[in-house]
Amino acid sequence: MSFFSSGFFWFMEGVFACLAVLGLKLWAEDRGIPMPFWKWILAGIWVVFLGFTIAFVGTSLGENEVVAARLGGILFGLTSIVSGIGLWRLLHSGRKAVK
Amino acid sequence: MTQNKGKGFTRRTFLKASGAASALLGSAGLGFYGYEAGKDPRTYRGWENWEGVNQDFNRKKYAVDKPTYLKVGETSRPDARSDVIFYRRGLFRRQWRDETGLEGLDPYLQKYYRQNPEHLELDLYSQNELMPKLMADTRKYRKQFLLAAAWSNAMGAVGPPRITEPPEKSDFMLNRRTGQPIEAVQFKDPVKTSKLIKKMAHELGSTLVGIARLNPDWVYSYTSIGRGFKSDEPIEVPKHWQFAIVVGTPMSWDPLYANPTYGTSNDAYSRSRIIGFRLASFIKQLGYGARPHTPGTDYDLMVPPILVDAGIGEQGRPSIVITPELGNNFRPAVITTNLPLVPDKPIDFGVQDFCKHCKICAENCPSGAITFGDPVEERGYLRFKVDTAKCLNFWNSTLGSMGCRLCVAVCPYTRKANWIHKAALKVTADDPTGLTEKGLTFLQKKFYPGPDPQTYYMPSLGGENASYRPPPWWLRSEDFIE
Ligand code: SF4
Ligand code: SF4
Repeated sequence: MSFFSSGFFWFMEGVFACLAVLGLKLWAEDRGIPMPFWKWILAGIWVVFLGFTIAFVGTSLGENEVVAARLGGILFGLTSIVSGIGLWRLLHSGRKAVK
Repeated sequence: MTQNKGKGFTRRTFLKASGAASALLGSAGLGFYGYEAGKDPRTYRGWENWEGVNQDFNRKKYAVDKPTYLKVGETSRPDARSDVIFYRRGLFRRQWRDETGLEGLDPYLQKYYRQNPEHLELDLYSQNELMPKLMADTRKYRKQFLLAAAWSNAMGAVGPPRITEPPEKSDFMLNRRTGQPIEAVQFKDPVKTSKLIKKMAHELGSTLVGIARLNPDWVYSYTSIGRGFKSDEPIEVPKHWQFAIVVGTPMSWDPLYANPTYGTSNDAYSRSRIIGFRLASFIKQLGYGARPHTPGTDYDLMVPPILVDAGIGEQGRPSIVITPELGNNFRPAVITTNLPLVPDKPIDFGVQDFCKHCKICAENCPSGAITFGDPVEERGYLRFKVDTAKCLNFWNSTLGSMGCRLCVAVCPYTRKANWIHKAALKVTADDPTGLTEKGLTFLQKKFYPGPDPQTYYMPSLGGENASYRPPPWWLRSEDFIE
């Protein structure tokens, strides 16, 4: 069993996820960005989609399906970027000036 | 919260930086995880484990009371001598003389060819034009498929003996002294017996197993291969053929995707044949009748509808059965028996609707054997019709081991068991709107294209010996042989 299919890998992914959430929270506070629950949910969905995109490309490459990796990367990657920009703007809504 | 502004790198800054770094590392980790998942040999279902863990689809959730094929008229049993292409071609080769033509054939063949004149043309074309070309091209391009052919032959080199006695004799274990069947042990409960038989099937190497009550419509009316039956006498369905146990295994995955024809059917055929004979032996030793019907051609019945009855899967557009776990990469054997069992229920996980729109196999079939149309009536049942004469002619238009298997390789259901394909199966099976099915078919066509179907033909027929995907490293003769 390789590291990436072990339980320890998913444990580490969990640690990274917690740290990322904490970082986002501090970052939002510092910038005066309010983070109601719906923003967390939207951010969560976007992160899952981004994770799906990355894992899809990786899996397709592992399967030797280069066309699937390329087209999936473009299609899902572009969707991630466009929705990411939208989300970024949405996150900043309601922002208060920070002293 | 403490904000140590002006003190350089604070704890807060450190946590924010860690968050950003974690997001990056976590994302990269998912990419590596995906890569490993795509390569993982444990996703090659059916070749890694004999404990039955691969039969993991929740069939109960999709169980239905009636099979997904429709009975629409008066039914009749197939005559294997003419309706089954392998047997018909064998008889045709032995009987056809140019001087006597149709009149020189047995009456049932004459009748068949009068009703299906296009098949007479295809059978003649195979005999007169195709086979000589195949032999010439095989000599010329032998090296390309040398390892694949040797592997295929090795896989088929071991097998149980052929059945030659009638069912009342060969299906039972006979007492050496009296010549009578040995006494049957009494089982406590058919539910428990069924559980035992399924465990035993897995233990003997079967990837999937199911039980059906045998519908006599699936038993041939006539056969030409013996197995204790005479070719000129109708088969009377033996009384002890009450249940049909289905077992089977998949073909090796990487070669499968490299058809035509770095793949072979012999690998799964051989395994399923041995499992069929072993399970029949197990049942016979307990005093019950059991007859294995095994691949390639040792059958007294049609197998696909029995798989549907046993809840193993649903019949797809190319007429073969699609299972949730293996797609149509499944080579079955059937054991007919009178051991008291409880039949499984058929399942409906959406294949009929999927096949109506998908048509990927029809688009990729080089011979045009698979219909683009709707199911039609055949012997009283509605099903997608496949032109087996065109199909077999294509088998003889490719080099390497016998067969084609492209309709297996290209089917969206026939995918390795990694997270992408498992998720796709789950979503399509559970979506009543059919929208995901259409979306996934569209993506499948774009993401997993194959070469132009005409390039699969051997060079003397204008092709390029193409394969759907490149052969695995261990079948590339040019890398090993001078
Ligand atoms: S390729 Fe499509 S149409 Fe053909 S059997 Fe598979 S799902 Fe059905
Ligand atoms: S085995 Fe090949 S030729 Fe035959 S139906 Fe399938 S794709 Fe067509």
